[in-house]
Amino acid sequence: MKKKLTLTDILVTIVIALIFSVIYKVWGPLYNILSVFGLHVDQLIYGMWFMAATIAFLIIRKPGVALIAELAAAQGGEFLFGGQWGGISLLLYGFVQGIGCEVVFALFKYKSYHLFIACLAAIGATIGSLFLDVFYGYIDQLALWNLTLLIVARLIGAIVITGVFAFYIVKALEKTGVTKIIRPLSADDYQSLEEEIR
Amino acid sequence: MHFELTYRQTWLHALHPVFKFVMVIVLFVAILFIHNPNFLFYMLIGFGFLYIGWTGHSFKLISILSSPFLIIFVSSATSMMFFGDGTNTWYKIGLIHITEESFYRGVHLGLRGILFGLLGLLFALTTRPVLLFYSAMQTLKLKPKYAYAFMAAINLLPIMVSEFQTLRNALKVRGVTYNSGIKGVYQRIQYFSIPLLAQSIRRAHRTAIAMEAKQFSNDRTYYYQVSYSLKDLYFTFLILAIMATSFWVSTIYSVFPIDNVRMR
Amino acid sequence: MLEVEKLRVKFPDSDHFLFKDLSLSIPFGQKVLIVGPSGSGKSTLLQILAGLIPNIIEVPLKAEKLQITSNYGIVFQDPDSQFCMPYVDEELAFVLENNQVPAVEMTEIIYDLLAKVNVRFENIHTPIHQLSGGMKQRLAIASALALQPQVLFLDEPTALLDVEGSKQVWDTITSIQGEQTIVIIEHKMEFVSDIVDRVIMLDDQGKIVADNSPSYVFQHYKQDFDQYGIWHPTSWSDYLASKSFKAIQTNRSNQKLIELESVSGYYQKTRRIFVENIVINKGDWIAITGANGSGKSTLVQTIMQLIKTKGTIHYHFADGRLPIYQKIAFVFQNPELQFVTNSVYHELAFSLKNKGNSNHTIIENHLMRYRLAHVRELHPYQLSMGQKRRLSVATATIMAEDIIILDEPTFGQDAINTFMMLDCLEELRQQGITIVMVTHDQQIVDHLATKEWIIEQGQLAEERYPCSFLSKEVGDSTHAL
Repeated sequence: MKKKLTLTDILVTIVIALIFSVIYKVWGPLYNILSVFGLHVDQLIYGMWFMAATIAFLIIRKPGVALIAELAAAQGGEFLFGGQWGGISLLLYGFVQGIGCEVVFALFKYKSYHLFIACLAAIGATIGSLFLDVFYGYIDQLALWNLTLLIVARLIGAIVITGVFAFYIVKALEKTGVTKIIRPLSADDYQSLEEEIR
Repeated sequence: MHFELTYRQTWLHALHPVFKFVMVIVLFVAILFIHNPNFLFYMLIGFGFLYIGWTGHSFKLISILSSPFLIIFVSSATSMMFFGDGTNTWYKIGLIHITEESFYRGVHLGLRGILFGLLGLLFALTTRPVLLFYSAMQTLKLKPKYAYAFMAAINLLPIMVSEFQTLRNALKVRGVTYNSGIKGVYQRIQYFSIPLLAQSIRRAHRTAIAMEAKQFSNDRTYYYQVSYSLKDLYFTFLILAIMATSFWVSTIYSVFPIDNVRMR
Repeated sequence: MLEVEKLRVKFPDSDHFLFKDLSLSIPFGQKVLIVGPSGSGKSTLLQILAGLIPNIIEVPLKAEKLQITSNYGIVFQDPDSQFCMPYVDEELAFVLENNQVPAVEMTEIIYDLLAKVNVRFENIHTPIHQLSGGMKQRLAIASALALQPQVLFLDEPTALLDVEGSKQVWDTITSIQGEQTIVIIEHKMEFVSDIVDRVIMLDDQGKIVADNSPSYVFQHYKQDFDQYGIWHPTSWSDYLASKSFKAIQTNRSNQKLIELESVSGYYQKTRRIFVENIVINKGDWIAITGANGSGKSTLVQTIMQLIKTKGTIHYHFADGRLPIYQKIAFVFQNPELQFVTNSVYHELAFSLKNKGNSNHTIIENHLMRYRLAHVRELHPYQLSMGQKRRLSVATATIMAEDIIILDEPTFGQDAINTFMMLDCLEELRQQGITIVMVTHDQQIVDHLATKEWIIEQGQLAEERYPCSFLSKEVGDSTHAL
């Protein structure tokens, strides 16, 4: 099984991420309006930002795609929408979030594609984003109850969207047959060439 | 959907793309360690001038792009203003607890949000992605397969956007309705993402194969040669000057009666 | 020389071999045409001969001998997914970079290449998306030539082009051909028959059924051509003479269905289309034609009320609670975008459910009628292109609307699927359903449409009555507006 990323893998990963950038375009403004209330309702859909990572990994199943997907989603937002939503800071977020996912996938040697793994990756990405928020948003300076609310809301949102939703979206996508063209083949597929000709 | 912007080339366009990129990243990180809202306020003015005067784009575009700044300010500021830690209470009702410290911390976050946005725009409006990637391959030794994959993907973006719009109409025509609550959120994501993913993955796959068929290789020459110029030096000086002036002015004329928004 | 011996290919999850011990050799300099029905593996074979399979695309493959070339160029079918750079010069430079051509020499070579394919620009730094399909494909030929290939592979290079574009592309290929081997897959025979000196025909099992000179194959295998949906010079005349084509009966009525009075359609505050006064009558078959970007699709979206409109539109059909865009059956150019469920059956059930109906028999009848019964359990995306089109028409018509609008339903289709679609539409029209279609195909306009609207620059430039015997009824065959 080829594990190294090919041009095709990278291009497909980036394109997956860009689709979510396009969808973010619809969600982004909504996200900011929700956050005006300050009660972290917005955090419930924060998981949308990590979704590209789990989906790309569950489709392509190779090391590095989650990180590339997160960076591409950030970079896509940059060139698509001018970058006023934080511009290059998104790239930093993309980086820590992508690393958060990669760590989880690496722990399972990139060989597990269960719902559980997707949820763990969601948690990994959440931790990554919280880490940067300490610097960027002074979240450690929030009242304790409010900080707890933020973390819990973001975690729940991430697990549901980045974990569960992403997993079932990939399942639905598999039914379309598209994933077949990019996933690596198994030894069985070669074995069947030896069959007698009917 | 393609949008061609006509703009004047300014000296900001002529900077070395990777150098400009690194400078902006350094600025970002540096700003994360600035806790004085006065300093930030004057930096915003400094970079604001650069943004308004030297991106080479029409005033109309510049204003449209900066229109979300107010929302960015409010959304970055409110939760900290209402729920941040602080001792000097100004106002308290129910859960909302506005203290002097949390208020200025909120203002600081709002200013930071705008400043980041401004710098992001300043970079994006004066840098062609193609040149950024060419320069990254030459200066940072970024592997061509990553650079070209990004460039090819950006190239596919307009088709994706128009497909998204068509899909919206298609779902309307089919009479798709959504449940309420979390199930509805999932339905929305699924109805939109599955067709878009399927189309785009196939298209990306075809594009990658076409690129490989053109004997794509990591050993290559470069159509665009990216080099440094004196302008890069001026740019560095300008940024240092903006930073220094902002700091100096902030020590003399304080806008906010606080010089460190952090408490611990 | 390209050679394969005892080639075996079997796609994962497939229960049969695509190629069963296929052997083939192509001597240097030969111009070969490969034909066959969809599913015969033409493209796969071409990609194997180019080495893309299995080096780049992983497909289980085995051969006793596989002699291929690394010195080749390919032109693919889709003009929009074979370029990776935004500008003409950058795209050609990309290929030159791959070949490690020094940067200083590139500009001159780029001009040479463009001259070879007969595309000229004032400035080579021109955005590719501004080019017509025919120009894009010629640019693709230029990038293949940039590799100075010994073998040129052409994988249906004009399938997605109109007649004009196809002609340009094949003229270019004729002019550039020289020493090199050329392997062609093409569905439109009229253009290639003069270029090739050998035709290989595959059947739907991926077996070679004919391998001979073009004249021999065209003469002896004409039936197979029709069966495989290959376009040949007499495809249309055969169809028109066939019993499945029923001459358009004069069951047009003057019963107005939709009337537009001084209507404009807007995209983001800009007016994209304006029509003074047009009428769609019951039983009409209206063809909307015009260049790309002239406003054909915008007109359709205006009628559908999918975009912002100004002016008066009267819809003279049963009023209900549904918005207009759900009362008109609509078939998108890319059928996949309008599929919302996981199986063919549920796709039809979904349409019915929206109308508050869930009659199993209606669905079954529809499946039979559109020849989809055997694939009812399949995911819509897994269907063949022709089946997808039929399904999208089926989902639109199952709601028993008075009018159906289609956006280029025969675009890129082979002959079989085109005629099957046209038969099906004509049948609907005979039942009194009005048809409005955006199309580039002049043959459809001339032989089937009762009315043609020619759109130019966001305006209705002309209204024609193409069918000759109908024109007697209305007087003038054309009247300019």
